[in-house]
Amino acid sequence: MNRQNPVAITGLGCIAAGGRDLPSCLASMFGRPPQPAPPVRIGSNHPTVYPVFEAGDVDGEDEIIRTSALGLHAAREALADAGLDARALAGLTVGVCVGTTAGCVLMDEPFCRACLAGSDPDMAPIRRRLHGNPASVIARVLGLRGPRQTIVNACSSGTDALGVAGAWIRAGLCDLAIAGGADELGRLAYIGFASLLIADPDPCRPFDVSRKGLNLGEGAGMLVLESEAARRRRGRPARSWLLGYGAAADAFHPTAPRPDGAGLRRAIDAALTSAGCAGPDVAFVNAHGTGTPDNDRVEGRVLAGMLPGIPYFSTKAQTGHTLGAAGAIEAVFTAACLELGRIPASTGFETPDPEIPGVPVRETTAVGGTIALSQSLAFGGCNAVVAIGRAGDGR
Amino acid sequence: MTIVIRGIGVVGGFGCGVDALREALAGRLPRPEPYAIGVGAKRREIRAFQADLSPLEAFMAPRALRRIDRYSRIGLLGSHLALADAGDADASREGLGIVLASGSGATGIAFAHLNSFARDGDICASPTHFANSLHNSAASNISIVLGATGPNLTVSQQRLSVPSALVTARQWILEGRVGRVLFGVIDELSELTAYAWFRERGAPAASAMTPLRTSADTAIPGEGAAFFLLTGGDGGDGGYATLDDAVTGWPPDGNLVPPGAALVVLGADGRPEEGRGYAARAANRRVACYSPVYGCTDAAPAFDMAAAALMAKDGRVFASPGGDAIDFAATVPAAGEPLGGSVINCLTLTSGDGYGLITVGQR
Repeated sequence: MNRQNPVAITGLGCIAAGGRDLPSCLASMFGRPPQPAPPVRIGSNHPTVYPVFEAGDVDGEDEIIRTSALGLHAAREALADAGLDARALAGLTVGVCVGTTAGCVLMDEPFCRACLAGSDPDMAPIRRRLHGNPASVIARVLGLRGPRQTIVNACSSGTDALGVAGAWIRAGLCDLAIAGGADELGRLAYIGFASLLIADPDPCRPFDVSRKGLNLGEGAGMLVLESEAARRRRGRPARSWLLGYGAAADAFHPTAPRPDGAGLRRAIDAALTSAGCAGPDVAFVNAHGTGTPDNDRVEGRVLAGMLPGIPYFSTKAQTGHTLGAAGAIEAVFTAACLELGRIPASTGFETPDPEIPGVPVRETTAVGGTIALSQSLAFGGCNAVVAIGRAGDGR
Repeated sequence: MTIVIRGIGVVGGFGCGVDALREALAGRLPRPEPYAIGVGAKRREIRAFQADLSPLEAFMAPRALRRIDRYSRIGLLGSHLALADAGDADASREGLGIVLASGSGATGIAFAHLNSFARDGDICASPTHFANSLHNSAASNISIVLGATGPNLTVSQQRLSVPSALVTARQWILEGRVGRVLFGVIDELSELTAYAWFRERGAPAASAMTPLRTSADTAIPGEGAAFFLLTGGDGGDGGYATLDDAVTGWPPDGNLVPPGAALVVLGADGRPEEGRGYAARAANRRVACYSPVYGCTDAAPAFDMAAAALMAKDGRVFASPGGDAIDFAATVPAAGEPLGGSVINCLTLTSGDGYGLITVGQR
């Protein structure tokens, strides 16, 4: 992996349990983070109630699937943040790259239950899903004609989408890309994580010795990536930089991370190399930190080994695990924290785990560097890491 | 940098492996087999081009497959075939990248997952079914079985999943992220997709597909996998062809296919709602269409790419099944005609005005 040219990030957008836009999410992150609650949008007859982080209503849910509506909501915020309106977009080749899990699922539970029960239900829900592909919906609604790609890499999807879109910009496949992730809370995931015994019936506690699992969440994070030519033509400063991306597979187990963290190490190494920097250059790490025993043990050990002493935190106890959106939401937070020069407390962490040689930050912490990592570990053994740089450091 | 197609692994209604595909393209067309649909108001049946996965036992012991669903098995068979075809069966998989295109994902096991809790309650959900139902489960299973530790990505972009994912596979090699990529697509005919087909289109009426008669509905569903071992490098021998480009886009109009192509392989598959687009975009070009070999499937653009790679290597074209029934102005070459150039384009259109174009070149 060679050093890659940095790609300008000119707009950020986000919706999660903490707020309907990035400023409100940051305010809750550094103020009073939301608490998970029993699910409202979905029901379950599971005897255990697992609390979740639900995002607010968004426009368009009647016509398109909620995942795509969440993505569109965040994309509009990111475009506005970048100073781009429909007129400005019309003259550009604009790509859309979105990570998701629920956004490409053909299954509609009521429809399938009706089929199993021996009736022929109306086909509208299946058609809605067939036309709900998040990248296609965002491009269609916004009238964009560049490449579209929806990445379905489980919980690293959002991070991978940023890496893929960055390559599009560098290769000249588009002038500008809307890249990120979106996912809605759904029953299949809710029941599925419960069946795997990695959902916590209490608020999740990433990296804490008492952690029992994750809380699901929903939301979307979107970033506007822009070519230098396009950015300079309109005289727009970069808000931050996508410096590097690394990905590697564990090749170990469908749902458990490799115990030695070899895949994550390779992904971090590739992200640093492509960014042209080294471990000591990193100001902080926005960790995956789901609160599951296995993930946090592997991730904590890798961070302690590769990036000793560098502060890290998890926002999963503030957003829930938003699955395909998580990497993108966390990349947005990472860029914002670099701007602010501070990172939030790793909510839910109180007592160190003796199996993890290191601890996340316990309180809002000032950071002075210019480079940060945001990383994701996914089912299927996918590890993905992006390196993000602060604007105004000479690039 | 040149990207070379080193190995091809294909499985579908036509059989298993490059030789089976070549025979089907040479005229030994498969016949669609009955597929019984056990859900809905009454028992129904459609005919479809279905994949036989029994050859997978030559690569993997049944015990190793016991927790792996059919969708992943289709992909595992395609993967093993591609690596064996490349003479790469025993090579190290360290750093091998995997890019998988998937239309609807593992719908069979996803339906089984729902069935696991639909009757007896949410607490009865199968964790194994859940894990296998994830969209990237096949790429995960392939990486685990092969020990492939490079980057691993699954893309779902409906009809354009193949060209879209291929953009990324090429980019990984071109920017030096990996030296080799196992690229593939899987499409599984399942209870859910077969039922949806029946409800939307009815049982296929035609006995054979005639996709170049673009105004007629002759579509027959298919399934299968097509995998390719792609490598970067400017020199060296071997391989079928070069993968010169892959693009997707949504242009308002204009000529999608560059004028220099010796042959344009059309993704027309007997569905008139998309067939009319091919007639408009490929008029007066030298065209071919091979969907009667593998049916109507999201894997079709990769099967087209496999056919193009074979023709690029042979320097001759395969006949288009039903090619004499063309209903627009274009030239359809006969079997064995010289390719007549070094570049083949594979064009896929969607009813939503999107397109994918894969460019294959002679080595």
